[in-house]
Amino acid sequence: MAGGDRARASRMAKGSRILILVASIALGLTYILPIWTISLEAPQYPEGLGMVIRLNTIEGQKRHDLSNINNLNHYIGMQRIEPESIPELRIMPFVVAGLILTGVLVAWAGRKRLLYAWTAVFLAISLVGLADFWKWEYDYGHNLDEETAIIKIPGMSYQPPLIGSREILNFTAHSWPGTGGVIAILVALSVVGVSIREWRSRGVGGERADGGVGASAKTLVGAGSLGLAMMVGLAGCGDPGPRPLVAGVDACADCLMVLDANGHGGQIISSTGRVYTFDSVECMANHLRAGVEAEGVRSLWVVDFSEPGSLVPAEEAFYLVSPMLASPMGLGVTAFARSEDRDGAVHAFGGDAADWSGVKALVSSAWPQGRPSRSHGGHATEVPLPDETGA
Amino acid sequence: MTRSLKSRVVTLGAVLAFGTLAAYACQSGNTSGVGAGDMVGAAEAVYVAPGEYDEFYAFMSGGFSGNLTVMGLPSGRLLRTVPVFSQFPENGWGYAEETKAMLETSHGFIPWDDAHHPELSMTNGVPDGRWIFINGNNTPRVARVDLNSFETTEILEIPNSAGNHGSPFITPNSDYLVASTRFSVPIPNRDMSIEEYKGNFKGTLSFVRANEPGNMGVAFQILMPGYNYDLAHAGKGPSDGWMFFTSYNSEEEHTLLEINASRRDKDFVAAVNYRRAEECIASGAGETTPARYAHNYMNEHHIAVSDMLEEVLVIEPATCSDMVYFLPTPKSPHGVDVDPTGQYIVAGGKLATVIPVHSFEKMIAAIQAEDFESVVDGIPVLTYESVIAGEVANAGLGPLHTEFDGRGYAYTTAFISSEIVKWELGTWQVVDRIPVYYSVGHLMIPGGDSQQPWGKYLVALNKITKDRYLPTGPELAHSAQLIDISGDQMRLLLDFPTQGEPHYAQGIAAELLMDDQVRFYSLEENEHPWVARSEGETRVVRDGNEVHVAMTSIRSHFTPDNIEGVRVGDEVYFHVTNLEQDWDVPHGLAMMGAENAELLIMPGQTRTLKWVPDAPGVYPFYCTDFCSALHQEMQGYVRVSSPNAGVPIRWGTGGDWNTN
Repeated sequence: MAGGDRARASRMAKGSRILILVASIALGLTYILPIWTISLEAPQYPEGLGMVIRLNTIEGQKRHDLSNINNLNHYIGMQRIEPESIPELRIMPFVVAGLILTGVLVAWAGRKRLLYAWTAVFLAISLVGLADFWKWEYDYGHNLDEETAIIKIPGMSYQPPLIGSREILNFTAHSWPGTGGVIAILVALSVVGVSIREWRSRGVGGERADGGVGASAKTLVGAGSLGLAMMVGLAGCGDPGPRPLVAGVDACADCLMVLDANGHGGQIISSTGRVYTFDSVECMANHLRAGVEAEGVRSLWVVDFSEPGSLVPAEEAFYLVSPMLASPMGLGVTAFARSEDRDGAVHAFGGDAADWSGVKALVSSAWPQGRPSRSHGGHATEVPLPDETGA
Repeated sequence: MTRSLKSRVVTLGAVLAFGTLAAYACQSGNTSGVGAGDMVGAAEAVYVAPGEYDEFYAFMSGGFSGNLTVMGLPSGRLLRTVPVFSQFPENGWGYAEETKAMLETSHGFIPWDDAHHPELSMTNGVPDGRWIFINGNNTPRVARVDLNSFETTEILEIPNSAGNHGSPFITPNSDYLVASTRFSVPIPNRDMSIEEYKGNFKGTLSFVRANEPGNMGVAFQILMPGYNYDLAHAGKGPSDGWMFFTSYNSEEEHTLLEINASRRDKDFVAAVNYRRAEECIASGAGETTPARYAHNYMNEHHIAVSDMLEEVLVIEPATCSDMVYFLPTPKSPHGVDVDPTGQYIVAGGKLATVIPVHSFEKMIAAIQAEDFESVVDGIPVLTYESVIAGEVANAGLGPLHTEFDGRGYAYTTAFISSEIVKWELGTWQVVDRIPVYYSVGHLMIPGGDSQQPWGKYLVALNKITKDRYLPTGPELAHSAQLIDISGDQMRLLLDFPTQGEPHYAQGIAAELLMDDQVRFYSLEENEHPWVARSEGETRVVRDGNEVHVAMTSIRSHFTPDNIEGVRVGDEVYFHVTNLEQDWDVPHGLAMMGAENAELLIMPGQTRTLKWVPDAPGVYPFYCTDFCSALHQEMQGYVRVSSPNAGVPIRWGTGGDWNTN
């Protein structure tokens, strides 16, 4: 009886076996659906430009995109992207076939140890694959032919992100998993979920009355929700986080002055993912008002004065308007993530509390004709004229 | 169990679908360029009510159409196409006998060219509205267009040149316009190996007398090292007397220039002291060398004449010190623009990451201090640091051309990043930028290259159109965009399509031109050899196998409208005089089977169509320009007989036949 229990304890629940079978077969979809996409955005490509990475090849999003991308890349001396010369693309179909086949075997055999081993191999292959993809991107982005490059910018690299968006010269590159990639990620999560579930139930022994279906369903829902949450986070269609402002490097998109680390600043992320940085909340509000950016706005961020390294959503921030706390463009607007910090600042500096709509109204009334050109209060990068220093 | 499995599959499917949706939900964007809130304001700013006039004439080069197009600003309405270097069937330019000679060159009749840069004549550094000049890039030529008649009146071929790109930039009082050769070639041109380019191929910078209509000529040419000479602009104010030319390919490469001519970090702006050149020539420098180039002009009878000129004065920098200096300029510079005060020379390095601005004052100081880093073919190269006034950082990718608003700001186009960047002279700080759709080349502010810009509008001349208009197959009109520059921030107002490829454009306040327009030509002053000033003077004359018909047109008939006695193989010349003396009543003439275009004859003018009938029969002709209620009745017949039929010449209108 104990031996029977042990045997049962080493066997997978029926539901888990079905799930592994379904997951393995689902992996087969990666043969027809794209694994990853890299899209390039630039003003002069309104119809978009991009490439699709499949299990066994790389092709353009549109018919001639890949050759057009290669043609553009010759300006910067990037080697041509030629699917034939990437051996991984020849190997991957066999690797995935192996995973599917062994996955089906695991489901058929129903042995937990086999499941753990298969899960480990699956994850190892996934990670190696991603690392390899990153390495190819790195090589393309960095190993430029100095001899034939026409545009050479010292220190510039052209590596697209593994996942996410990045500005590369006049292009914004977006790199995201394709449908096949999403499926692979979900399969991986499901497999891990099943393994964890089986590992937890290793001491229990025996099949549950419902054949393990309840637990498996829970696992599935858990894994699925996790995958969904991850996808939403990755795709950033809620919001990709803002990118950190770099003092001394980033310039204000409105007044064009270089940013300081003075606890002020903001960021607009356009609907196309382009990032505009601002040295002050008032410049950002003015920029929105002027409506000169064509792309539309995805999200607005302001620097938290209490924690100058972090950006918080502009609509949710708490503002102080005080002449005693100078902001770069002179309207005395300072943002805080927490209301208690702002209230403390009101106490310390005097002035008024405001919310985002109040700030926008303030900027509209203070600058009815738009931001006055070159009027800036005590900006650190402004060089005083000699006669002023003499005085 | 089955149900649970099904629900699991459904859940999995839903999760997959949702994840996929999430992954693709970021692919949207709007690129109209005008914010929704701004549309009403933009519409009002460009609205010219019916019957009202635009504020500015804009002259857009037609690029590979070979024409000049005239548009109104701010409406962006097309007003006129002026044919220059290309035959234009719409009005018979290059087809009518009186106009053919305008397209003669040393290579024969060339019915097309690539017209890049219109340039208004100037007085005291300000556009004066007398003429506009434009270059022919392919077969090196420059043309003068009269701005009273909007007609091309003179074309000069440029000898010792190949690719007349850097042209026809004019001096502040229109003494000279320049023509720099884009391609260096063997001078004089001869059969030699292309591989022997270095040292053997040369460039020329030509100075063309521009001030006298009908008398354009090459005053002198400066023989330069074998670079590609790209664009130019004249000094003004303190820098009057100097002309600045960009050059690239200082590598002197002859193949795969894309890479080979992009190697050096700096090429040159050539600063030419043309007053010094005049002095050297007056004291005997320079050499008159054989050449062959056409000079075509409209004579006093509105008939084009082509003269072939045989020599040109060439001067080498080594024989005239202080005439030419090189200013090192990053990187493959394209445009070179002088600010309204004449102090700053702005160069747009196609591949540079900054816009370098040279100081004229510092240049003169560096010349006096002999601050030279080297000497090339007798041309001192000044050190970059000694001439640079400032560099504009963060000025967009691929800066090309700059114009000015007269209020201390400069506007530079950035081709690669597809934007216009506004920056301040003196502080070199970028103060505004605006995206343009797509890939802007030149820009134009009316008067923006002169000493007094009308700093109200800016026109972006874009190279790529893509999705800006309703699609029209693979070939699309090039796109221009009108931007309001009257405020602190630039504001996009309007997109409008253009003809050919407008490279550069010029603009001038409408009041400087509109009151001086020719409305029709005086019939009394028409001295055309075949003019018929009245229907009584019409005649048909046979001279061997030539038949000349002196013909008139008036609403709504030709005289004669019946002609007999023409034989197969005759060369028939219809000399049509438009007897109208009223504005906007041109008449046309179209002849069935003529291997030619129509004629379009302005009131008081005589134009000639040549026709060689190829078979016996009766051939109709008619008026093409809808002239009156009975325009459709304005027609006639020519009877063509076989040579041995013995049909005598006779002609008439209304039933009475005339004979010689």
